[in-house]
Amino acid sequence: MDTAELEAKVIEFIASKVENIDTSTITTASKFEELGLDSMDTVQLLFDAEDAFGVTFDGEEVKNLRSVGDIIDYIGNHPPTSVL
Amino acid sequence: MRIVVTGMGIVSPIGASVDQFWKNAVAGVSGIGGIQSFDATKQRSKIAGEVTGFDPALFLSAKQIEQTDRFTQLALHAAQQALEDAQGLEGYQPRRLAVSLGSGMGGFSTFEFSAARRLQNKSVPPFSVPRIMANSAAAWIATKYGLKGPNLTCSTACSSAANAIGMALDLLRTGKADAVVTGGAEACVLPLTMTGFEALFALSTGFNADPAHASRPFAKGRDGFVMGEGAGILVLEREDAAQKRGAKIYARLAGYGCACDATHIVAPDIDGQVAAMQAALDDAGMTSGQVDYINAHATSTPIGDVVETKAIKQLFAERAPEIPISATKSMIGHSIGASAAIGSIAAIMTLQTGTIHPTINLLEADPECDLNYTPNSAVEKKAQTALCNAFGFGGNNVSIVFTTL
Repeated sequence: MDTAELEAKVIEFIASKVENIDTSTITTASKFEELGLDSMDTVQLLFDAEDAFGVTFDGEEVKNLRSVGDIIDYIGNHPPTSVL
Repeated sequence: MRIVVTGMGIVSPIGASVDQFWKNAVAGVSGIGGIQSFDATKQRSKIAGEVTGFDPALFLSAKQIEQTDRFTQLALHAAQQALEDAQGLEGYQPRRLAVSLGSGMGGFSTFEFSAARRLQNKSVPPFSVPRIMANSAAAWIATKYGLKGPNLTCSTACSSAANAIGMALDLLRTGKADAVVTGGAEACVLPLTMTGFEALFALSTGFNADPAHASRPFAKGRDGFVMGEGAGILVLEREDAAQKRGAKIYARLAGYGCACDATHIVAPDIDGQVAAMQAALDDAGMTSGQVDYINAHATSTPIGDVVETKAIKQLFAERAPEIPISATKSMIGHSIGASAAIGSIAAIMTLQTGTIHPTINLLEADPECDLNYTPNSAVEKKAQTALCNAFGFGGNNVSIVFTTL
């Protein structure tokens, strides 16, 4: 999967998980709080992303994930741990 | 001070409204079937009383569903019905509105799911703990409806809801609340939980091919209880306040009694059961001679139904054979911490309608079970005082008394 394809898939995934959001407002620069997610919403989103993209977010590194682009970079740099 | 029931809601294997539940209970409809919610081929007991067709999306947002276990979702649905039924609680101060709920297992669906993931080295859902905790359902009811008074949860196994209703009665009598949303919820038709009950030889295993006849309290050939699930919710208020606001009143909650066997962690005991029934009558200021209906605990275990029969005979003496008894679990199985709330609704509907629902699958009674269990067909009989029994693991015995006004 190339970067553009991954980017589109992550944005599509986030749009499916965040209630009442206009997909066109989600960009790689969007911070989670700008999407209306509080800290617990963010943890839930990352948990759901693990299953959706077959990755495992490291418990410590996850604290540094603050934006849509951070998720894309993380997935891009960590090959899937499982095929779901 | 007189406490009354002004609202009721139910989610059960035979109906997700009081009307539907009661219509099916009177008709003797079985809600027991082969387990649909998971692959039960490895279970010894492959049947259950499941709430089928339940769609939380009809009343909860996607985020609320994600953050709640099934037992909370069942509780929320029953609470919505009960609060709509009671109407007008907004006249009370939010800090005077309490919740007192029972659940034996709490969010065990989440527990089993999260534990399985952990054992596979997968991440655990972040809302695992707030979904699993036993007070989750009570907290969600409070949050959804702004009930800011005392918020209690009672976990005493199969008698949880009866204790929760009794605690609600105490909250009202002691002036700690003006109205209480009370009852119980359970959702443990689950592989690990059922395997645990199988290991105790508590579940029926001989009727996997004939589920509708598996739950057979007091009958010959019964071989254990059938796992069930559901929720029952009552709204309780002081009678004077309920009358003042023009509320519809179903019945009076007249008494609550509890007693511990203090003998064995799972085996039932006659003395404890008698003590709980007597305590409930004493609390109501009534005598055993006034009871004219008993909603029995009656789970369909070989020992339990005999012990309850003996306890009723000991307390009611020569009157015991005259009192109509029925076993709601014959139709819906054993919904553990919700069962006494559902039994209470059945008892209240008996007082309301003058109809006693049957104990189904009672073609031939166990010779040691020789009372009037209202076998197979409903009976018309005006009742004014109903006793609802709930006996749980831990030797936890509870009885509650409902009366007409």
